[in-house]
Amino acid sequence: MTNRVSRRNFLVSTAALSGLAVGSTALAACGGSEESGSSTTAAGGAADTLTFDNWTLYIDKPNDDLFGEGGTLAEFQKATGIKVDYTEGINDNNELFAKIQPLLSKGDPIGATIIAPTYWMAGRLLQLDWLDQLPLSEIPNAANLIQSLQNPPNDPTGEYSLPWQSGMAGIAYNQAVTGRELTTMDDMWDPAFRGKIGMLTEMRDTIGLIAMSLGIDLANPDDQDYQPAFAKLEEEVANGQIRQFTGNDYVDDLEQGNYAACIGWSGDVAQLSVSNPDIKFVVPESGGTLWFDTMVIPKGASAEQIQAAGKFMNFVYDPVNAARITETVQYISPVQGVQEELRKMGGEAAALADNPLLFPDASTLARLQTWGTISEEKEQQMDEEFARISGA
Amino acid sequence: MAAATTDDTGLRRGRFAPYGLLSPGIIWLLLFFLVPVVMLVKASLSTKPSRFADPEFAWDFSNYTSALSEYSPEFLRSFLYAGTATVLAILVGYPLAYWIATCGGRWKNFLIGLVVVPFFTSYLIRTIAWTSILQDDGPVTALYRLLPWVGSDGRILATPLAVIGGLTYNFISFMILPIYVSLEKIDFRLTEAAADLGSTPWRAFRKVVLPLSMPGVFAGSLLVFIPAAGDYLNARYLGSPQTSMIGTVVQNKFLVQFDYPQAAALSLVLMVIITAMVLIYSRFLGTEGLAV
Repeated sequence: MTNRVSRRNFLVSTAALSGLAVGSTALAACGGSEESGSSTTAAGGAADTLTFDNWTLYIDKPNDDLFGEGGTLAEFQKATGIKVDYTEGINDNNELFAKIQPLLSKGDPIGATIIAPTYWMAGRLLQLDWLDQLPLSEIPNAANLIQSLQNPPNDPTGEYSLPWQSGMAGIAYNQAVTGRELTTMDDMWDPAFRGKIGMLTEMRDTIGLIAMSLGIDLANPDDQDYQPAFAKLEEEVANGQIRQFTGNDYVDDLEQGNYAACIGWSGDVAQLSVSNPDIKFVVPESGGTLWFDTMVIPKGASAEQIQAAGKFMNFVYDPVNAARITETVQYISPVQGVQEELRKMGGEAAALADNPLLFPDASTLARLQTWGTISEEKEQQMDEEFARISGA
Repeated sequence: MAAATTDDTGLRRGRFAPYGLLSPGIIWLLLFFLVPVVMLVKASLSTKPSRFADPEFAWDFSNYTSALSEYSPEFLRSFLYAGTATVLAILVGYPLAYWIATCGGRWKNFLIGLVVVPFFTSYLIRTIAWTSILQDDGPVTALYRLLPWVGSDGRILATPLAVIGGLTYNFISFMILPIYVSLEKIDFRLTEAAADLGSTPWRAFRKVVLPLSMPGVFAGSLLVFIPAAGDYLNARYLGSPQTSMIGTVVQNKFLVQFDYPQAAALSLVLMVIITAMVLIYSRFLGTEGLAV
């Protein structure tokens, strides 16, 4: 199962949209997990350093240097004297879990003070009681968290996590192939597109969109029966409508016209559409999913490290610093005031302030849903069913 | 007497020397083969009290029954695809190796170097590159669609054809190299002798060259078939849900579902079946020649 790495890589490397470029980003995705192997082994760390293990290309890098002049990490060090040991080791939520589970289940520290799992994985870590509370007294800027992400189901009290970046899953399509605009999930099942429809290997995005199109809610998964959504998915796999299940590599299929449409992520399309205006993104009328990666502190960090982590979170929740990150990563920022800061920056950054994929309008936001916490047992059933249908 | 004593110690030293020389290999095998296999067997007989807990050993054989009952289509497909890829690799690789060995002349090393060149690129990239080459609107697919039995909306990607093609392409070097080595060692004056005795060139090839090169074919077949049967990247990038192989299932069981016992059982079943197939295969082709 792939993930968002290449997606993120892709965003930054739009200049090179060749097959080779996609290949090399996939290679980077592979290297990522190995890098983190070494980063997570270095347990502890001095009080004046802070370890943050994040996804690839998910922070600004002035002149390709993490600590480049004027960059977030350099500015943070200037402001607080704390040097962030920043690694890009997260490649995939499940892979991350497989890596830290043996340590956290025994109460051993994993080495990184902050990690950025996706919200549902953060919820799992919290349920397993593997997270420390955030030092909220150090983070007054947490008040800048946008309304829609406050007290999410994975962390109802908001004491254990702060979103890092956010994005939408919806329908991505190539209008040159479809020949028309798509607006609903039923458009995906149009027999004219047989064998040219793609799904994501991310179960929550794929099943989520199908479930919503059948009127099934995502907020309280344990009270819902998702069997109709799985049945629909199975039907469309069996009749050949669905060609393949992919991770981020769907961007290639979409560009090349192998896909007419697929379930995709807003951030990719924001970038793809710059070079290819035929590539479009729409949140289906029945609804799309809103996901976010979130900063958490796994148990085992020292009091000093937790404090330093708080200072860092406070720093990146300052709209000026958040806007600098958004300018590079181009996802939906969880920090209020970023839009205004981008406008102030002028030029290309100001154009981002008006991009509906970064700042969705109210009607789009109203159609987005975030999965509630799925119980362990139900998640296992759903993962198994999804694996069976997707041929894994 | 003194002489006998020294002789004796010499003998004793001689008796243990082979073991001393072997010890790095034995330690290697113990540490990196036997111990992991024992761990795998133990994991395959375990159960998990809950999804995120560590597996507990419990003599639970249900992982094996479900491995066979639920995943036999994937097993069959894996062996079918890997077998087809192996046959294709022989059909393409043997003539190439033969040509290099007999007509390569002073270019032999260069030509063999060319066979290895693809390895300078990552396996993953080589596989993904095929998605560009075989894309639906690309020239290769356009040619493919001209075939009488392929419709105008035919495609190569996301079909068994692409998966088998990918497996063949990715592993064919492992077929060419051992065949080349065994052909290279053959004294081709034997074919002249066969001709002197009235044999046609084809008959000389069939009766002399082919049997002598069989160890290479055997080694190449193992090197292609075994990794191809457990492969999941080709099915993942070039296939569809209908072409998934057992490697895909193991990867998902292990990394997505954390079902280590089931993943271990699937891996062991794969190992056992492959071992059995290799033993049967070696009965037909013989392994004695491998040492030559």
